[in-house]
Amino acid sequence: VSDVHVRLSVGGESYALPVENVLEVAELGDLATVPGAGGAVLGVCNLRGQVLPVFDLARVFGIAGATVPARLLVAEHDGRRVGLAIEDVTDVGTLPAVEEATDSEFLVGAALDDGHLVGVVDVGRVFAALEREARP
Amino acid sequence: VSTGHDSQFIDIFRDEANERLDTFVETVLALESGTADAGAIDSLFRDAHTIKGGAGMLGLDEVRALAHGVEDVLANVRELGTFPLELAEPLLRAADALRAQVAGTGGAALDVLDALAEGQASLEQHEPSLVDMVGSPRGPSERRAIRVPAEKIDRLLDLVGETVLHRRRLEHVLGGGRDEHDESVSDELDHGERLLDDLKDAAIEMRTLPLSSIAGKLPRAVRDIAAELGKDVELTLVGAETELDRVILESLSEPLVHLLRNAVAHGIESPKQRKKAGKPKQGSVVLSAKQRGALVAITVADDGQGVPPDVLSDAAGASLVEVLTRPGFSTASEVTDLSGRGVGLDVVKRHVESYAGSLEVRSEPGVGTQITLLLPLTLALLDVLLVERGGQVYGVPLASVEEVVSVRDTLSLQGRPALELRGNSIPLADLADLLGATAPPLAEGSPAVIVAGQRKIAVVCDRLLGEEEVLVKSLGPLLANVGGYLGATILGDGRIALLTDPNRLGSARRSRVEARPAGPAERLAPKVLVVEDSFTVRELQRSILEAAGYRVVTARDGKDGLDKLGREEDVALILTDVEMPELDGFQLTESVRANPATASLPIVIVTSLASDDDRRRGIEVGADAYMSKRSFDQQALLETVERLIGR
Repeated sequence: VSDVHVRLSVGGESYALPVENVLEVAELGDLATVPGAGGAVLGVCNLRGQVLPVFDLARVFGIAGATVPARLLVAEHDGRRVGLAIEDVTDVGTLPAVEEATDSEFLVGAALDDGHLVGVVDVGRVFAALEREARP
Repeated sequence: VSTGHDSQFIDIFRDEANERLDTFVETVLALESGTADAGAIDSLFRDAHTIKGGAGMLGLDEVRALAHGVEDVLANVRELGTFPLELAEPLLRAADALRAQVAGTGGAALDVLDALAEGQASLEQHEPSLVDMVGSPRGPSERRAIRVPAEKIDRLLDLVGETVLHRRRLEHVLGGGRDEHDESVSDELDHGERLLDDLKDAAIEMRTLPLSSIAGKLPRAVRDIAAELGKDVELTLVGAETELDRVILESLSEPLVHLLRNAVAHGIESPKQRKKAGKPKQGSVVLSAKQRGALVAITVADDGQGVPPDVLSDAAGASLVEVLTRPGFSTASEVTDLSGRGVGLDVVKRHVESYAGSLEVRSEPGVGTQITLLLPLTLALLDVLLVERGGQVYGVPLASVEEVVSVRDTLSLQGRPALELRGNSIPLADLADLLGATAPPLAEGSPAVIVAGQRKIAVVCDRLLGEEEVLVKSLGPLLANVGGYLGATILGDGRIALLTDPNRLGSARRSRVEARPAGPAERLAPKVLVVEDSFTVRELQRSILEAAGYRVVTARDGKDGLDKLGREEDVALILTDVEMPELDGFQLTESVRANPATASLPIVIVTSLASDDDRRRGIEVGADAYMSKRSFDQQALLETVERLIGR
């Protein structure tokens, strides 16, 4: 496991995901909504012939979303693949050590980078939350 | 174990044990002739183990003891890694003795146990004359078959689908009207299209097998059941070469045996009755398979007494299927030891519906009964009617579309909109409301699709886009719990269409939920996931739990259990066996514990492995309770479940 992380902005805040969980980043294109699914499910999209569920990451994190997601981050964990709608990817690289503890269930902790707080995402927990959020 | 459950399950156990013994004997013979595959010993072990487990739960001590002896020997062989030829004889004798015991005509078979013990002893000083059974390429019947995981074939299908789309784009780029180009271009495009069609068919064919691949043992099973009941019945197979999706086919063996048993036990009359009715002495049961469009119809037809007339008149508007699948329904006026009806037609119906299929029943008093399972030919392709609502495209399986009408005047029946169609009133609903989507109001004269799922309903949409054969794709594990869809497909323009489940559309689940005034949520009974590879044990546990008021979901092995756990919303407890193919109970427990979403789910391991080591392993992997099948006690099971669920 490397300590290289993909840095992204979600709901105006900064987060980081381990690079090995990130498959690709693309434009957030057309989605088919899935009526009956939970509110965090934006829909499904066609990723080169595969049907990919897309979640609103800001909503999963509970950030009152003032911003509109424009990019799609394809994440994988435990053989399961999802699209996460985010504002943008800001950087890929090593992260300063995690110093700040947080009480968020989705974060391993937070790192202080150049005076900014970066939430380091616990991918397993986020996927478990997605599973809950998928239902109405 | 209560005797009430016993009588119901002993017949099922008998069938299952006989089926297991058939494969057991085949496998021993294959080992002896050197044509067995690498999994042969494991397969033998599992057969013995399953018989032992079922016998233990039903209190058949002699069967249990002998199966246990066989299992012990095989455990040693498994360690040895090779199969000593002199063991074939005692194992075959043990199989015969087990068969007799299961039929109730055999005793303790001490001599067979002795022979096994002797074989066991000889194992220890064994060296030469071993047959190397691991992937043995001996013998003339070397088959060039490979096993491919279904996902790989699905991926291949995905890529074929993508290539089709790519071709359409290419055609578009070359400029809509092909005739503008010279003939060679359009020839090449036509050639490509034919190749792609062939490629798609070839890929789909890999997912199908003929019915004959599971039907071989059925004539024998029917003869045995008939003999036991003093009846004379012949089974005829028609259309056994009909192909069907492998996944569906592999799950059909048990339901088919049930239907056949019902036909023999409840359909066909005794020879005396038949003579009185002027029928030939020998009853006839026909198992036939036939393709009906994108569906395969598998029918079990008997020339017996049919469903009693009073049952037909009792139906009072409900269809015969509905009457016969009420839980616990039985048409037998006298209880025979083969009338295991508690797990009858309702189980078969549920099974068929889980593959988006349906059940048809026809019966005529005195003439016979016909039960038809309608199943999709393949799980990969579906003929759908594409419709649009609120700017989105949905597919409705063509098999359940009766007709399409245009909505002019709607009526109201009991405050609900309805449509008058040739004298019948059919409930009418907006597709958006049924699915829970938001969409602008419908225009006057919008088309309504008459969908016949579990109930008939007129589904109104904005417009129809036409019929298409589509490649069905799963919505993936995360969306698997969102009910109402069979999957999704990717359309020619790259858009995604959701494929609606016609049975769920008819039940109008969502709109009713929304209409209900907000109040305290109904307390549903806790749901238990039963993971067990033996049909007997699985259904016995289901019946015990259901009788105690629990909702029950079942899975055939650990892998299936994990799938079900991902799909079912509110599993409150897992009850699992240990020895299972694919993923065993310990591995299942580990996986459940490793997933944060299910890490705290109570798990009860029920097994006939009862050594201290196993017990320790069960606790180590995180099971909450460990129960032995040997001392299986219904009350103890219920108490444990209740304690862990905290009801």
